[in-house]
Amino acid sequence: MRWRALLAVAIGNLRSTPGAALVDATAAAVGAAALVLFVGLGLGIGDAARRMFPADDRLVDVGPPAVSLGGLLGGGRLDEGARARLAALPGVAAAWPRMNLQVPVAAPEPPRGLESAWPPGMTLQIPVVGIDPDMVARDVGRRVPFADPQGGGPIPIVLSRRLLEIYDKTIAPTWGVPGLPPGLDPVGLEMPVDLGRSIVPGRSEARVVAARIRLAGLSDRVPLYAVAVPLDTVRRLHALYRRRDPGYGLVTLLAATPADVPAIAAAVRRMGFSVDESVRATAERVGTVVTITTGALAGLAVLLGALAALAIARSRAASVAVRWREIALLQALGATTGEVRAVVLLEALLVSSAGGVAGAGVGRALAVAGDLAWKRALPDFPFRPDTFFQFPAWLPAAAVALAAGSALLGALAPAQAAARIDPARSLS
Amino acid sequence: MISAAGVTRSFLDGDREIPVLRGVDLEVAAGELVAVVGGSGSGKSTLLGVVGALDQGYGGEVVVAGERLRSLGPAARAALRSRRIGFVFQSFNLVPSLPALENVMLPGLLRRGAREPRAALRARAVAVLERVGLASKGSARPARLSGGERQRVAIARAILARPAVLLADEPTGHLDAATGAEVIRLFAELAREGAAVLVVTHEERVSSAAGRVLTLRDGRLG
Repeated sequence: MRWRALLAVAIGNLRSTPGAALVDATAAAVGAAALVLFVGLGLGIGDAARRMFPADDRLVDVGPPAVSLGGLLGGGRLDEGARARLAALPGVAAAWPRMNLQVPVAAPEPPRGLESAWPPGMTLQIPVVGIDPDMVARDVGRRVPFADPQGGGPIPIVLSRRLLEIYDKTIAPTWGVPGLPPGLDPVGLEMPVDLGRSIVPGRSEARVVAARIRLAGLSDRVPLYAVAVPLDTVRRLHALYRRRDPGYGLVTLLAATPADVPAIAAAVRRMGFSVDESVRATAERVGTVVTITTGALAGLAVLLGALAALAIARSRAASVAVRWREIALLQALGATTGEVRAVVLLEALLVSSAGGVAGAGVGRALAVAGDLAWKRALPDFPFRPDTFFQFPAWLPAAAVALAAGSALLGALAPAQAAARIDPARSLS
Repeated sequence: MISAAGVTRSFLDGDREIPVLRGVDLEVAAGELVAVVGGSGSGKSTLLGVVGALDQGYGGEVVVAGERLRSLGPAARAALRSRRIGFVFQSFNLVPSLPALENVMLPGLLRRGAREPRAALRARAVAVLERVGLASKGSARPARLSGGERQRVAIARAILARPAVLLADEPTGHLDAATGAEVIRLFAELAREGAAVLVVTHEERVSSAAGRVLTLRDGRLG
């Protein structure tokens, strides 16, 4: 009952000073809107950056030594023994080998159903790399198993997720052909290929075999420049074309945690192998940019929240100064000093919560308007996001909490001043 | 109901201590209407603040409605004010944002302990508004009431909890003669019903209605 009475008094006070309440609510709304807008923008940019530069900061690419005496003498080779030693390093969760196919592969025809996206008469030379199927297991579904068909069917392939985007936004316009149909599910698409055929004169194999490749999935873990097939398929084709085992071109190590990466990289170098840190460096750079961007925007929102708190502090202090007699009366009627404080804090909480809810809505609306404006202003480019904002469910709640929290902080001093009012002297 | 012995109270004016009450002794029994008169600045309101449990900076002993004020903590003093003491002030002191009925209900809403259902509290508030002749003004905010009506709302608020002690500070100061007389009649009626009524005033029309009149001069009651 007492809380209802205090709430009634607080609401009554706000109603009796609508101008001040509106100013407080507006200040809170600005802080909340800024948080929703800026953090939403930071998260959106982060998401766009991660899609543009997909990189796992737990990956370490290990290559053969660039120059080494061991290499000249046949040592330092990146073979299965080396892969096993790399896999046994502390902090390594998996070691996935890659092997480049030494046999040329060319595609004389487009995938079935995508004829319009293929320039007439074009033959496409396809670089092929064999990978450990475990490396892309998380990205490949069950519809097209990613395993060597042993010559009994289409060869499953995995493409870089980014390749489709680049094809659609850059390659297709350059070729003057339509992009991929909207909503296309490419998994399962098949394309005829000629194994052993090269578009470079004189470089084709004596034996050219017609085959088919079938898309098993898309993954950020395969190279942008090549078609990935199962490692066993590469080994089988090397045997078919009597190629000497070239060893692995690369072994990708998966660290248990990002923190394990530096120690793993150091151990790999001690083993005499080279470490390609470009992937991890990209991941770190993207992560840093995203963190700084989001942090700066969130900091700006918190700054606006602090300014809102100052505005509310001034407004509530002025209100307390005007209502000193009424506050003294509450004490005379049985309110404790704590309850007097509570009335002032309730006023701040009510007005800031209302402002916070409104501000969260305004922030969201501004984001929608921003997206519309950017969509019109920016040209189409690879990885252009549909939205530059991300709004997780917690964000509006956090915005209201920021508004309410900053208002409560701002109202602390006025509440304390209200509690210090001496009823005996104020009411006489 | 009210028992004060050797009450002293002084205030600081810079470094100088100004004594206002210099050893006040006061007894007001249940059913008694007592007026304290004195010139402006004589300490009448200060005395009311002390016996109303609003002021803790006094010396001496004060017992109100059986409670020794010095032994009470802030929450207990607040509870005593809400349950046993009613206040009426010269400037009415209504909450401007609340309608008359909710102003009257406010002490009941702020009351601690056993909770009275809101409907019952509202019914009692309507009843006391009827008693002071303002049954039709319950929804009016203070700004829309005349001075006499505001004071009657303040009296209704003071008597809602059927207080054992009613303290009034210049209750007719801002009222015309007819309204003032009505207020004095209400105080006398409350005293007859058993309340200890202490009125500080400088108006003769109030003191002439009191059972006893005490004069506060030089910080002492005589």
